Amino acid sequence: MANFRRFRPEDLNKLSKCNLDPLTETYELGFYLQYHAKWPSLFQVAEDQYGNIIGYIMGKLESSPDVYRFSEHYLPWHAHITAVTVAPEARRLGIGKLLTEQLEAAADANDTWFVDLFVRSTNYKAITFYKSMGYSIFRVVKDYYGDHSSDPTKSSEDAYDMRKPMKRDVKKEHIREDGEKFEVDPSDVW
Amino acid sequence: MRYGYGRPALKSSVDVQLQTAFSDGNWNSVIRLADKRAKSLKDPYYEAIKVSAESQLDGAAERGAVLNAIEDLVKQKTVPDIDTIELYEWAAGDFIGEEIEYADTLGPLRVKWAKANPKSPLAMGCLQSCLEYWDLVSAQQISTALDKAHLNSGDRRFMFWSITLTFLLSISPQCSGPSRKVYSLLVAKQLERAAEITENTPKVETKDRGLLTEEEVCLYYRVLLAHGNKDDFVKRVRSGGLGALVLLEKGHKLLFWECLDALEPWGEWDLIFDLCRQALRLGVKGVTAPFFVCDLQVWKRFIAAASKAADPEAALREVQDILKEFFAIETKTAQMYKKNLSLALLESSFRLSALAQDSAQGDTGMTPRVVQIGLLLDDCFDKLAAFDDVKGYVSILTFEEAKALVDVILPKMFDSIPDKARQVILKSLICKIRYLLATCPQTLSRHPSVVDGETQSQPYRCRFCSNLTSLPCRHCLQEIITEAAETYKQITADQELQDLIPRLDKDPRQDLALVVGTSLLKLSGLKASSSSASGAPLRDVQPELLLQAILLLDTQLGKTPADNGLRLLLAQLCLLIGTTSYAQQVWIPMDVKRTIQDALSPLFFDRISTLSPALFHGSRPLMQPLRSYYGNSLGNAPPLKIWDAFSSGSYTSILDLSKYDSRLRTSCTLVMTLVEEARATRSFGSKVDIEIADHPLARDIEDDTLLINKTDYGSFPNLEGPLGPQIQEFVRLGPELSNERAHIAFLTEQFFDLLAYKPPKDYKPARPHDAAIRDRNYALESLTRLNHSLANLIHIPSLPTLLTGPEMTHYNVVFLLTSALLASLSTARGDPTPKTLAPVTSSIRTALSSLRTSCYHSCPPRMPPTLFALTDMHTVAHLRETALAVKHSAGFILAFHERELARDRSGKSALHRDVVSEMKALEAVGSKTLAETKSHLQKLKELLGEGGWLDRILEWTFGREEEEVEREGEGYKAAVLDIVGGRDAAEEWAGKMLESWRDGVKGWLMVRWD
Ligand SMILES: CC(C)(COP(=O)(O)OP(=O)(O)OC[C@H]1O[C@@H](n2cnc3c(N)ncnc32)[C@H](O)[C@@H]1OP(=O)(O)O)[C@@H](O)C(=O)NCCC(=O)NCCS
Repeated sequence: MANFRRFRPEDLNKLSKCNLDPLTETYELGFYLQYHAKWPSLFQVAEDQYGNIIGYIMGKLESSPDVYRFSEHYLPWHAHITAVTVAPEARRLGIGKLLTEQLEAAADANDTWFVDLFVRSTNYKAITFYKSMGYSIFRVVKDYYGDHSSDPTKSSEDAYDMRKPMKRDVKKEHIREDGEKFEVDPSDVW
Repeated sequence: MRYGYGRPALKSSVDVQLQTAFSDGNWNSVIRLADKRAKSLKDPYYEAIKVSAESQLDGAAERGAVLNAIEDLVKQKTVPDIDTIELYEWAAGDFIGEEIEYADTLGPLRVKWAKANPKSPLAMGCLQSCLEYWDLVSAQQISTALDKAHLNSGDRRFMFWSITLTFLLSISPQCSGPSRKVYSLLVAKQLERAAEITENTPKVETKDRGLLTEEEVCLYYRVLLAHGNKDDFVKRVRSGGLGALVLLEKGHKLLFWECLDALEPWGEWDLIFDLCRQALRLGVKGVTAPFFVCDLQVWKRFIAAASKAADPEAALREVQDILKEFFAIETKTAQMYKKNLSLALLESSFRLSALAQDSAQGDTGMTPRVVQIGLLLDDCFDKLAAFDDVKGYVSILTFEEAKALVDVILPKMFDSIPDKARQVILKSLICKIRYLLATCPQTLSRHPSVVDGETQSQPYRCRFCSNLTSLPCRHCLQEIITEAAETYKQITADQELQDLIPRLDKDPRQDLALVVGTSLLKLSGLKASSSSASGAPLRDVQPELLLQAILLLDTQLGKTPADNGLRLLLAQLCLLIGTTSYAQQVWIPMDVKRTIQDALSPLFFDRISTLSPALFHGSRPLMQPLRSYYGNSLGNAPPLKIWDAFSSGSYTSILDLSKYDSRLRTSCTLVMTLVEEARATRSFGSKVDIEIADHPLARDIEDDTLLINKTDYGSFPNLEGPLGPQIQEFVRLGPELSNERAHIAFLTEQFFDLLAYKPPKDYKPARPHDAAIRDRNYALESLTRLNHSLANLIHIPSLPTLLTGPEMTHYNVVFLLTSALLASLSTARGDPTPKTLAPVTSSIRTALSSLRTSCYHSCPPRMPPTLFALTDMHTVAHLRETALAVKHSAGFILAFHERELARDRSGKSALHRDVVSEMKALEAVGSKTLAETKSHLQKLKELLGEGGWLDRILEWTFGREEEEVEREGEGYKAAVLDIVGGRDAAEEWAGKMLESWRDGVKGWLMVRWD
């Protein structure tokens, strides 16, 4: 059924099972290649026995730029999930979870404080998915997306910034209980 | 150093006034001020500022001054000033790659500076600049200097930049064969030394020059592999310090995976067996995460290696023992791994039974492996991937086993399922499996192909139903249709079931419709495009069954629009029958954009200009997204993001990015983009912005470039047996993209560009005689080159299987035309008649007339003539293209002749009399064909304007209502009508088809016909 391995550029010719699904965004080539160039071990794929990519995760390691060190929105060293997707036919088999766990292991190996990600506030499936793995809402980014995924009358949609603490955050300083209530503007995140 | 649009900062010593003028882009002031400072301060840097500012002005002389300045700098022996280099590099930006080569000018300047200042942080900037222009020779020299200067710095990147660049040079066309060899030896030596350090040092530290990180070790192996150094590779894989398992134990899988990839083609099965066994055991023992290497591919390789062992049975038993250990811990893991384990068990059962072939073949077919398939399906039949998981195994069962599966195991499973919803899921899976088996040759037995001296059209007997047949068995397909349609109806009639469907992963009706649809396609006689390259695609097809299939799939897609597999299939079928604008409507919702275009766009855009040029007249240029994708991705010399990979120390990514970049530059889809657009532009008589050969995206395409097709068919819903042609082969119009077709189409567009070339209107050469000779020589050179390149392609024996029939004829005519033009232009008026001309022109006429026959006189009896005409625009398009090529070629020669007559009254330099009359005749044939084709389309348009078409299309689809005769196909008519919701629904569909056909014909009348 599937293999897990590091992404290689040829995989871009085999994305149709994931990317024809409307919930999965397709980016310019440079976007994928940037992740492969900078954080190759955080870009992992699941492939089926015919070589089709049936799932992938793209992640990075970073902290906010130094100039923001004293801002309340400053993010210390952490891992970020830029995209995770599983082809419809391969969902609910644990592939998404395995990909995410793999990234979390790398996040721990690199001594990060937490893993974070943005998700549309109406993407209930994905939110349930992240919650099932221990992620919680840290803050709400108002009107982060310039369109709405399910309501065409709306011109924007909020994002949840979700987080899971890593081993380094022994005291759980980087998460909060009631993150739904913390609203920030898109200009506060980077 | 850089800011703004790459404009460098001036030295801080420069005064504020000049700084301001420079940053404001006030070039005239900069020139004036810099000139003054140069004179007063005697500092050549100000001269450089002046020259650079001049390069921003419009005049050609000013603009070019920087090139001379660079040339002077290159000649100097002294180390250049880095700020001057920065300025010149910026100022010469537009000329690099055109007037000057970076590697001959700025690259060496950067090398000189970096070698003199290797410890400066700016030296790294020099490396980066060379990489931005993909000047590997200079970059490698700088990296070596940097490495030497930072030997003990602890920054390991310098050493590995130098190694990586030396390796890239050793495989790059940027250096000659002998130097490549030298670089190969050099890189091998450097890496070998590093490897030895790692093997012999208990703990490698950051400052050591051994291999330490995963990227470094993998780079070493990649180089060994590229050098084909099998012995060293194998030795290292086994070794204790750098072996494949060492990294695995540290949680890095890449090397293990790449080693297996490398060892397989070398046939190192014992080593593969050993590595897999040890790697899997590491999981069981808890050294790595338990399922770390439990990938299906690892199991498959392990099992393949076991079956090649000296004692395969013992080895396979060992595999199964390890599998058992995993089964014992599987409860704690993801479903996906459980599935991998089950599939591995299945794989090993198949290998074991292959060893004991005879004993496995009991009369009942109830062999262990078939039982194993049953167990696996019992577990996962309701998962979406169930069919794809077992497809490969089911298709190689013996007939007896297949029968046991279909007659015993699956029905038993069905009876044991308590709930209705899961029952229908299984039912649809059974239909898919039965279809699959119908496409597998072992379900047929050979029947004498000649009986009583007569060749039989059905040389097989189906072992399932005992009927005489060909592959796939028609009778079985009919049964499958009936069964699938029954189930479909059952769901639609049962409200309780319908309420349950939203809770299932997929509506089973999607699969049932697919089974009925593909069965109808097969019954219609549609052939795989690779097996029937000539003639109209629908020549041998029973149109009503094909149309029924399309109606049915279209209806299903309307109900379940998220089914992309169905969507892809339907889009292709609509292209096949000429309802192109409707195909586009089906295509668009998939939102194929940006990166996935290279792999997916051929599924809609290939040959599109021959199907419906009107699509190019939409609100937005049709090929623009593709063009801009390639422009964004390939616009610069270096592979995208290469510096990111260098600066992050991702050495294997550097190699990957560089390989992918070369691949994308030689993509068949890229050539398709250029060709389709050029053809459409020509069709409408619009001005071509740029000749195809000069297109920036065509820079890397030479005659001997291997163009690569990477079309992704992965999302097609394939029920076909994996050994035969896949469904995309049946529904695609003609053979897929190929290197040969891309080249021949690219050359043909160059030929059209040559014919269309006209000197600018105000061009009046000073010496008309010399200019005329030059023109003639230019034409002769271009024609000789095209003729030679086309000849190489036309004579490839397999070419007819790579093209459609009309394409073959068309390209052959283009080739013949280059020969005819060459003969015409190179025969002087006084020479004897060129002998080659008459046979060539006669072949051209024959080819043209055979295309005419295909268009107008070859409608098979069972095909309604209007339907035939509507579904074969591809041939009409090639008739038109060929006639245009003939006419324009003749026109090209005659125009030359007229010009010469006008210029040289003596007539000596004009063309031969026989040539002229031959060309006039050709021109007339071309014109006549065009007029005739246009009128054919005009009539078609008028015909479609009449009333009664919906009934007629339904008649094409279902036969005449009043006809009572029971023909083959009548049986499905009811089934199809049931599924689609009756005649009214069918009529709505007919309306959409009609509109699209009308659009298409109208579009054809918009193109140029003169
Ligand atoms: C979200 C997504 C990646 C999940 O991938 P997946 O491989 O199906 O998820 P997993 O099988 O690993 O699920 C792990 C757990 O997440 C939860 N979960 C996942 N999908 C769920 C769903 N549709 N409904 C409820 N819970 C769900 C479950 O708790 C599940 O464990 P379980 O199956 O044992 O109950 C996948 O649905 C997807 O690709 N969606 C579209 C793209 C997307 O939205 N990406 C996220 C953008 S930020």
